[in-house]
Amino acid sequence: MELNKYQQEIFDKQRPVIETFGAKTWRWTIFFLFWILLGGYALYLQIAKGHKVTGMRDNVVWGLYIANFIFFIGISYAGAVISGILHILKVEWRKPIIRIAEMITVISTIIGPVFILLCVGRLDRLHHLFLYPRLQSPITWDVFAIGTYFAGSVIFLYLALIKDFAIYRDAKLNIPKWKQKMYKILAIGYRGTHGQKRHIRISTNLMAIMIIPLAIIVHSVLSWIFGMTLRPGWHSTIFGPYFVLAAIYSGTGVLIMAMWVYRKMYNLKSYITDKHFVYLGYIMMVLGAGYGYFTFSEYLTDWFASEKWNSEVIEKLFNPAKYGWWFLFANVAGIILPIFIVAFPKTRKPVWITIASFFMVIALWVKRYLIIVPTLESPLLPMQDTRMEYVKYTATWVEWALTLAGVATFFLFYTLLSKFVTIIPISEFAGKDQPVVTARDISEENEIVPA
Amino acid sequence: MIGFSKQLLISAGLIIVLFIPLIINAQTDSTKAEAPATEKDSSLISPALEFISTQKGDNSIDLAATLKAKVNSSFIKLPKLKVTFYQVSETGENELGFVITNGTGLALFNYKADSIATDKEGKFHFKAVFAGNKTIEAAQEEVSFKRARLEITPVKEDSIQSVQVKLIDVGTGTEKPVPGTLVGVYVHRMFYPLKVGEGTTDENGETTVEIPNKLPGDAKGNLNLMAKLDESELYGNLETSVTQQWGVPVSDKLQELPRALWSEHPPLWMMVTFIILMCTVWGHYLVIIIQLFRLRKEEPDPDSPTAERIS
Repeated sequence: MELNKYQQEIFDKQRPVIETFGAKTWRWTIFFLFWILLGGYALYLQIAKGHKVTGMRDNVVWGLYIANFIFFIGISYAGAVISGILHILKVEWRKPIIRIAEMITVISTIIGPVFILLCVGRLDRLHHLFLYPRLQSPITWDVFAIGTYFAGSVIFLYLALIKDFAIYRDAKLNIPKWKQKMYKILAIGYRGTHGQKRHIRISTNLMAIMIIPLAIIVHSVLSWIFGMTLRPGWHSTIFGPYFVLAAIYSGTGVLIMAMWVYRKMYNLKSYITDKHFVYLGYIMMVLGAGYGYFTFSEYLTDWFASEKWNSEVIEKLFNPAKYGWWFLFANVAGIILPIFIVAFPKTRKPVWITIASFFMVIALWVKRYLIIVPTLESPLLPMQDTRMEYVKYTATWVEWALTLAGVATFFLFYTLLSKFVTIIPISEFAGKDQPVVTARDISEENEIVPA
Repeated sequence: MIGFSKQLLISAGLIIVLFIPLIINAQTDSTKAEAPATEKDSSLISPALEFISTQKGDNSIDLAATLKAKVNSSFIKLPKLKVTFYQVSETGENELGFVITNGTGLALFNYKADSIATDKEGKFHFKAVFAGNKTIEAAQEEVSFKRARLEITPVKEDSIQSVQVKLIDVGTGTEKPVPGTLVGVYVHRMFYPLKVGEGTTDENGETTVEIPNKLPGDAKGNLNLMAKLDESELYGNLETSVTQQWGVPVSDKLQELPRALWSEHPPLWMMVTFIILMCTVWGHYLVIIIQLFRLRKEEPDPDSPTAERIS
């Protein structure tokens, strides 16, 4: 594979990252493994003793696990929509950050559904979902939609990686043989011929177009699991777009955080520039405004109609003695804070945008929890047995341990993958036959050079 | 002083001696108070025995005894208990047989009326007895009723369907119509009989009740029509039935549910949409995977420079 001088420069910068694992990475890996092992013990207890070790009971049958599931599928939008849209629009500044986004997509699409498995009581009957699917059920739609979405995300990431795999293969890296072999297999004989470039270009364009409606369908279907029921707080026609928007929003937040971490960790300031943070900050601000509008519309209509059961849920969300403070946090940190941070030039800086993203992502997790739990704590039918643990959901340490294990697995996979492929895609920067958009152009001049 | 002391000692001794029988008596009394508790253990369940009889049209008698008990202010049915039935006459009690109560606490005993004799007033006397066990007390109940017969005859004139019901007293050996008695007519339904009318018997012991048209019947249109006399002081319960093809035939075969959200098969539009969506997406994946396989087979461009290795 032939590299131009900019590609060579980017590659040389990242070469040590994929050649060595490093003591720091080992330390982090052990730290993540510790949480995963703790989660493993919690899972053992859950399987051995049953779901009674969780806070879920007859009434509140969904809790942390489902909130985590929606959260992880939500952040997977980072790659699916951000990367897909920017690719279709041929936005040049996307190039240094698309791999970060696509990796978030694939890893979070692996982690998210695991939480469904943790929530299911009879895992031994899991295959029944495929053997005896009931097409009328939104759960079945979700299984097929997420499976299809995951396959699409993997293909999308892989297509973007083939050229880089060919570069790693030919670079005579100081790496173990198995890794060399892996690069060779995964490069599938790519040599940069016109025909090969054409094939990859067509396929990538096709996937970029497909991944956007696919991602929208996946999160719409996810929202319909709630929206198709007649429960207060769930039965809403705007739940589909509301979930989709919230997912893109949280995905953008996680992407900004990941950019900040990698920029700091591998000193990639010349590639992941301040402009990337500002541009993504603008996207986040617009999405935040849209998300705020949906939130206001959703709760205003419920509150105004004063329907008995909806009012009960609204009361729980507005009452400081119940979920009031969490609801306030979800809206202040999830809507107002990011908009204000990006709106003022003084705070429109990478560090502030990252802080706003961090709080926004946490707020959106809280929001998912608030969608699930207060509704399940307000059953339409009066309960015969009104023991406190049936009425009120409180997550147990087992659920928290498995939640942290999920987050640790996400970080671990991300760490391992970033040791296998370069975070900044090398091949994405123009070859000799294309007008060159360099990292230096972006960082030093803050100008975007069209392809 | 010594004499006084002696007197005191003697007095004290006498008082003790006098009180001993009282103490002993008091102990005996307390024993007596416990005795009844031993005889009748308060932990035993006191059952209620409901006993009713029904004179059937086929000249048999249903003797139905239901055992239940009040536990924690609500009644529970007592299953798997033996209830023995007796015919009571002037000469004594004649055991007819026994039945074990079912899940609802019911013991139903059917007996042919011809095989037993009435008393001189033309009455039957029956007794149901539960002998009790370690946990449930014994219970018994009696019923008495005069022997009678209820007849039902379907009549169809033009398009009007009706049944003629006749109540006859047969207790004294001769058949005697019973006038002025309210009789109900029912149609047998899935769970309970449905009342379709009632009438008071005339001097011939007869009454006519119209049966509505278009009542759903079985697969052949059969209706099971039933006449009932409930809780008569003299005759107890009487019932008789007849089957008539007056209903609208309703197939007893399970009808296949239409394609719907709640049925076994999803609506067609849903199937079609799902298949189109899945085929479109996975079809594209397939095309992309085929493209990837083609990559490997691509020959290097003849005009391109030899691949340069990165050092």
